[in-house]
Amino acid sequence: MKRYFKYVAGAMMLAGIVAVMACTGDEPTAPAPVTEPTAPAAATAMPEPPTDAAPTPTEAMDMQAGSRLQTVMDRGHVICASRNDVPGYGFIDASGANVGFDIDLCRALAAAVLNDPSAIEIRLISAAERGPTIQSGEVDMLVRTVTWTTSRDAQWGNYAQTMFYDGQGFMVNRSLGIDSAYDLQGASVCVTQGTTTELNLADFSNQNGLNIEALTFEDTAAVVAAYESGQCDAFTNDRSQLAALGTSLADRDAHVILPETISEEPLGPVVPHGDDQWFDIVKTVMSILIYAEAYDVSSSNLPSAATGETKKDRLLGFEGSWGQESLGLNQMAAQNVIRAVGNYGEIYDRNLGPSGIDLPRENGRNALWSDAACSDCPKGGQIYAAPLR
Amino acid sequence: MAAILQNLTYQGIPIWRHAQIIQWTAQVLSGFLVVFLVAWFFFNIANAIDEREIPYGFSFLERAYQTPIGQHFLPYETSDTFLYAFVVAAVNTIVVSIVGVILATLLGIFIGVCRLSGNWLVAKVALVYVEFFRNVPLLIQLYFWFYIVLVLPPVREGYAIANRVYINNAGVSIPFPFPDGAAAAVCWIALAVAGMIAGIAVHRGLTQREVTTGQPSYPLIGGFATAIVAGGVAWLVISFVAGAPLVVSQPAPQGAFGRIAGGFTVSGGLMALLIGLIMYTSSFIAEIVRAGIQSVGRGQIEAARALGLSPMSTLRQVTFPQALRVIIPPLISQFLNITKNSSLAGAIGFSDLMNVAKTMTQTAPAINIIILVMVAYLAMSLTYSLIGNLYNRHIRIA
Repeated sequence: MKRYFKYVAGAMMLAGIVAVMACTGDEPTAPAPVTEPTAPAAATAMPEPPTDAAPTPTEAMDMQAGSRLQTVMDRGHVICASRNDVPGYGFIDASGANVGFDIDLCRALAAAVLNDPSAIEIRLISAAERGPTIQSGEVDMLVRTVTWTTSRDAQWGNYAQTMFYDGQGFMVNRSLGIDSAYDLQGASVCVTQGTTTELNLADFSNQNGLNIEALTFEDTAAVVAAYESGQCDAFTNDRSQLAALGTSLADRDAHVILPETISEEPLGPVVPHGDDQWFDIVKTVMSILIYAEAYDVSSSNLPSAATGETKKDRLLGFEGSWGQESLGLNQMAAQNVIRAVGNYGEIYDRNLGPSGIDLPRENGRNALWSDAACSDCPKGGQIYAAPLR
Repeated sequence: MAAILQNLTYQGIPIWRHAQIIQWTAQVLSGFLVVFLVAWFFFNIANAIDEREIPYGFSFLERAYQTPIGQHFLPYETSDTFLYAFVVAAVNTIVVSIVGVILATLLGIFIGVCRLSGNWLVAKVALVYVEFFRNVPLLIQLYFWFYIVLVLPPVREGYAIANRVYINNAGVSIPFPFPDGAAAAVCWIALAVAGMIAGIAVHRGLTQREVTTGQPSYPLIGGFATAIVAGGVAWLVISFVAGAPLVVSQPAPQGAFGRIAGGFTVSGGLMALLIGLIMYTSSFIAEIVRAGIQSVGRGQIEAARALGLSPMSTLRQVTFPQALRVIIPPLISQFLNITKNSSLAGAIGFSDLMNVAKTMTQTAPAINIIILVMVAYLAMSLTYSLIGNLYNRHIRIA
């Protein structure tokens, strides 16, 4: 007889746990079923679709419009999916902090929404995990050298803004004596799994009949190790990442990046589908970074009062509006962003430029469009965003 | 009066202690729970797919996959469909699991027997082997072997033995007979099966003879010899009558990069994966074998030795057949583990099912691919379980 009681007690406990799970999942305001954990009661409550109740901080599953901003504010920090294995984009610095271009974009978002750039949580994911991670909506922003493609935009989430224009290249050992990617006939090429790079490599090989053998690895570190040991003849990635990863090779001068760029790789942050307000917020934060540079506002010369220049004052929140209210942001959000991480140029210089992996920017694609001598002559770069007004 | 009152009030066991009622309540409650949990998961997935506008459907399987697959045992072109690419990847996993199971079992039995050796050094070495390999996470072991493979010279500076065998960090290439077309492949497989059946028949016959007459007849050697000789003779006959069914492909460096083409290549990733899986699993199998052998009563061994059986014969004829009944059930789960653990291959660059599936999620709906992968692994595991359980039924004491 005793074991039946155990059995029933076990079932009741299970029912209780399920009821608690059910409540935190869908009905955070109703603690009642916890006290009377009967399975049938919970069962009738459960299969109903989520209502418009506000989600709990730990549960970012509710996709109602506008709810993610509230979720982030309640939670107190922004969750970004990123990386820590490529210098310049996301790497561990000497003090053990995760730094980089991608990380700074996440910090900028936290500064705009929470006025605290350190209120971020970085989820480290592999390239192949990016799609599922942003699809599930478990992170607020995916910023991990993600190339914008149409099918990713359709399947993964919404691409907010191109923050870096890249293109795919090849790195080979100088001793091979080849000087063009078209000479890679029958070569074995190392590539990171789950990247557009992997797909572009297949296209490049198919189109040019090169019969390239692809060696795919989950980790960038394994790709570099396999390339450096000569298991594959070439290593393909976005050119900026080749340059960045090249710095970690034992003998950098023994390797050369081939001149061909075989693809377009616009990189930028991605937000989950289904929340237009959050999508707009991220786009706007990127605009703030870009226009701050265009208006020559940086973390070092941030004005404390209105300057009299209309565009600058609007950006900084001293007059007019760029949509703060509709977006649910602080009037001074742009100031918080610039004070915390600086403008686009500062972020670039710190991570990808002279103080980082030293990728040239001047007259390149990643210079500001407004750097052109006049508004009609296309001499500037391609960095351009929705005007702040 | 008192008797009537007692009759009225006494209703038998109270309802909350009534065995049948409690049983039924528990059954209904747990049934409810299961249905409810499944429904919850289902609605959760359906809602999530709906809200996040995740594309759903299996029509992608007919599309061309267009992405290369590293090493593959079936012929594959980038113009092949997703479905076929999936099959190619599944075959890669199956090959790894079959080779892994066979080698891990042999090595595991060897180590397990060594564990019980009377030789102090042998027993301790086996102990260290077991404790080391089963206590280090498999992924770390795979990385270890991967970096060991990378220490080999690169392909253009690799070792070439008589221009037939090539060893370098891209893999080991050996000459290998390949069937010359589909008809030849069928012919070849038929021959191999016929040879195996002949071998099994001879093994049975010789065992029977040994049992009935008591004369040593060496059934194992006889069986293997028959299988090889029968297969070889049949192959020669067919070669003369219908031309060679097999073409021996020789590996040779090709192209500007000196990549080895032809023959059979065990790629660096596959090598590291197999070594890692075999070492890891064999340490578990060794413990299972040791436990099985120790479960056989000491009296059995003493009796066998008293009858004059050599230690080797005692192990083969007395101890092992009895130990097998204890060994087989846990052994089956180790076979399943090899199959499932091979899904770590992506870390070291071997294109197993999981690795290819992850790449596929880039150009096809991820959830559907993961469902397909789960079904594929489940099918493989259930097949292994079935075979293992049939064998278990075969050897058990009726």
